[in-house]
Amino acid sequence: MNGVSWASKAVTVLAFTGLALGAGEIRKDLQFKVGKRPMVSINNPYGPVVVKAGVPHRVVVTAILHSDKVELDQSSSRNRVDVISHLLPGADQITGVVEYQVEVPPEADLTVHSENGPIHIEKLQGDIATEGGDSSIEVLDCANGHVHVKTLNGPVNLSNVRHGHIEIVSMGGDVLLSGVDGPWVNVNSNSGKIQYAGDFGDEGEYDFTSHTGDIEAVTPAYTSIDVFARSNGKVESDFSLAPKHTPIIVRGGNAFHGTLNKATSSVKLFSFSGKIHLKKRQN
Amino acid sequence: MNCLEFERILPEFLEGGHTQDQQAHLNSCPACSNLLADLNDISVQAKALADFAEPSPVVWNAIEAQLRREGLIRRSAPRQAALPWFRRSKMAWLLPVAAALAIVVGIKLYRPVGAGENQQAVKHIVLTPGEDVKVVSSEDQQVLDTMARRPARQARYRADMQDANAFIRDAQATLKNNPGDIYAQQMLINAYEQKQMLYDLAVNRSSGQ
Repeated sequence: MNGVSWASKAVTVLAFTGLALGAGEIRKDLQFKVGKRPMVSINNPYGPVVVKAGVPHRVVVTAILHSDKVELDQSSSRNRVDVISHLLPGADQITGVVEYQVEVPPEADLTVHSENGPIHIEKLQGDIATEGGDSSIEVLDCANGHVHVKTLNGPVNLSNVRHGHIEIVSMGGDVLLSGVDGPWVNVNSNSGKIQYAGDFGDEGEYDFTSHTGDIEAVTPAYTSIDVFARSNGKVESDFSLAPKHTPIIVRGGNAFHGTLNKATSSVKLFSFSGKIHLKKRQN
Repeated sequence: MNCLEFERILPEFLEGGHTQDQQAHLNSCPACSNLLADLNDISVQAKALADFAEPSPVVWNAIEAQLRREGLIRRSAPRQAALPWFRRSKMAWLLPVAAALAIVVGIKLYRPVGAGENQQAVKHIVLTPGEDVKVVSSEDQQVLDTMARRPARQARYRADMQDANAFIRDAQATLKNNPGDIYAQQMLINAYEQKQMLYDLAVNRSSGQ
């Protein structure tokens, strides 16, 4: 009995070892010494990219290559680091996958491109530019930088991004902004839903536009905005807004225009045919 | 004094009577001062028309129809009896002036739905829904051709380009109806921005692999 058990365990171990070898995963660890506010670029056609704030003057890249059909190209100068997943002939969405874990100085300027892998970025203070396809893009706990996101149909989630200059363009991906503020927050969606939860900061300009997607903004009673909403779809507000005299003539569709409190921020919610709802946050 | 109060006293203001409070509001409010400037322009130009030949009946009929559509007049006593006298009168030029003023004031005083209310702002819908036609331009097709070796990706981009094109068509149709609609202009810019993104991503990704 013991002999059989030992044998089965051995077979199991060998089988997993064989699978692992067959999978051909290769780990690469890269480190770069950089100056102040370096520029870091990761271009990964297939696979996830996770970027977090690390220590000053150092960029650390850990990459798991899923096969020998893909290799890493890297280049660096004094203050610039580029890492590219280079697909070799025969690579596909499975064999071309590379998983990245990257640490950059908090003030680094970052560019990340991944066609079908999720992108996750957190705790950075520099400028961020990301491009994605159908997978999610998350930016968390960042501040003081430009955040530019382009995606086809992947969901976009920005959470606790403060004092940012934010531009998001999405075709079908839903866009969720939670605790996001800054002097300029612009979301341009085709069919994806736009959801905002927050107080619209102070003296910012918030433009949310969608062709057919719905727009929902949930904000507390103390929020201070001048808001204009318009769509051919349903347009509603939970607030009793103070009327706003406007020189703009609104022809067609449904609309409301008014102010809340001191109206320090400007909010424009435009959809061609989606629903728009300015909701009051409870409690 | 606020804009609403100013608009209420506008007729008296046009006749020359106004207070310091009203003048102060006018000086500080671009919207109201623009409105007054427009009305004064129309008045001046209309007076100049008084020297021209009498308008044709078509003009009178169009003015009357417009006033009726705006709800400013109702069908009443036979028009034929009154108009010949009016046409002969030295004050005849006042009718088109009054009509123009009424229309302009109507437009200027028109405002969207009361803030915070959930009701339709306007009765007549001008925004035109996009045609349900799935098309791509020859330029789009050129970009799509760069992905010929990857049919699945090509199909996805084609669908996205069709969506961007539908957005462009809708924004253009809205602008055609209201060329001065700055928000429709912004929608059109955004629609083209989406298309630019698609081109960028398609070409960059194709060239990078």
